[in-house]
Amino acid sequence: MRLLVIGLAAAVLLSCSSGKKPDDSAFLQSLEKEPTAGVGVDEEVINSILEQIPSPLEISVLLKESGSKYAPEMLNSSNNLPKYNSNYKKALNLGVYGTDLGYTNIFGRNADGIKYISSIKSLADELNIGQFFDVETIGRLAANSKNLDSLLLITTMNFNQINHYLQSQSRDNLSVLLLTGGWVEAMQITCQTAVKNPGNTELREKVGEQKIILEQILLLFSFYKEDANMAGLLADLEQLKTAYDKVEINYTYKESTMEIVNGVATIKDNSTTTINITPQNVEEIRNITNTIRGKIIS
Amino acid sequence: MKKLVYAVLCLSLLGMRPATDDQECNSENLATACIPKLSDGFNFLKSYKVDGLAKDKVEYSYVFTKGTQYLINLCANGTNTDGIVVSIFDKERNKVATSKVNGQFISAIAYPCNATGIYYIQYTFDEPSSHCGGSAMGFKR
Repeated sequence: MRLLVIGLAAAVLLSCSSGKKPDDSAFLQSLEKEPTAGVGVDEEVINSILEQIPSPLEISVLLKESGSKYAPEMLNSSNNLPKYNSNYKKALNLGVYGTDLGYTNIFGRNADGIKYISSIKSLADELNIGQFFDVETIGRLAANSKNLDSLLLITTMNFNQINHYLQSQSRDNLSVLLLTGGWVEAMQITCQTAVKNPGNTELREKVGEQKIILEQILLLFSFYKEDANMAGLLADLEQLKTAYDKVEINYTYKESTMEIVNGVATIKDNSTTTINITPQNVEEIRNITNTIRGKIIS
Repeated sequence: MKKLVYAVLCLSLLGMRPATDDQECNSENLATACIPKLSDGFNFLKSYKVDGLAKDKVEYSYVFTKGTQYLINLCANGTNTDGIVVSIFDKERNKVATSKVNGQFISAIAYPCNATGIYYIQYTFDEPSSHCGGSAMGFKR
């Protein structure tokens, strides 16, 4: 009797706590039968690695502040949208266009950005995650260059919501592709700019630092080796890793100091990293990145 | 008999609820509320749920980049930070920043990163604390 009661109670609790939105089953059915991570892989582990990947927006800000000129020819054309027919390509290019939108926003080129907003909305709708992309508000904000902060805020929030939703639905593979597409696009923009400006050490180091992100992305892809598409991309990324093996990053820890400034604990970081990367390394990395990116956007 | 089962089921449900309204932690709302509190000039990056009802610490990680300044703030119900402390550890687990300074709870830390790498953002709770809060992170160059 007691077991029956507990069983009933557990069933009621489970049914009450699912919290699924009405469109969830349609969403799950609409996805291709791409495998999620292999059996025994903790989704929490995958999600925690996904959380580490920095926003491509950080790179766009660096590029603008380094004095680089706005170069829309480096971005993926929104006219390529009809090419993306599989969920694999849609998720990757949702990430690519997300980076491109961030880049146009940072450079205040809102007219270009609007084309990407439209492409992003289409891809997100086709992946049944369009409800997280507030195209109306974003379009309104993009119409006025004074709204840059709000525009960046809302687009970042929307992409975060998409990632959290995909992860909560155990579709981390799409989340991995979205972040990878965004990263590869940011990589090729950075590499192109660094090659054009061989004297800019900061840009060269920025390319070198991406070794850390690549290692995390490779770790993520290792969970999806059974998926033919992801295995193919993994092989390409491993080629990139071979080029990165020539780049050295050395970390030296030194205790930080701190003071309170206007109610904020402000740290003085005394640790350092030195990044050993030559212009030739950058060129090699650029060439491989371009090949990978070419496959993604084609 | 049916009445008895129903009564026991209701009592069980009450007894088995993981938390009462008072104990629930709406960390998502608190994290969202933290976003507009990022200082001017910082671009929003992430919001973090700090739900420590069932654990002693909550931890996330992120790759910080040399030359970029990160700001992490804290939001909680009630007074100020409600005993929540945010600390940053480097990849070797050296503590490089904390919001508890000389026994004082600070609601935000600014970390101008000088060494690119994976960092751990850890939230702990100094009693008395309701173990529930939110946090947001922004960056500027």
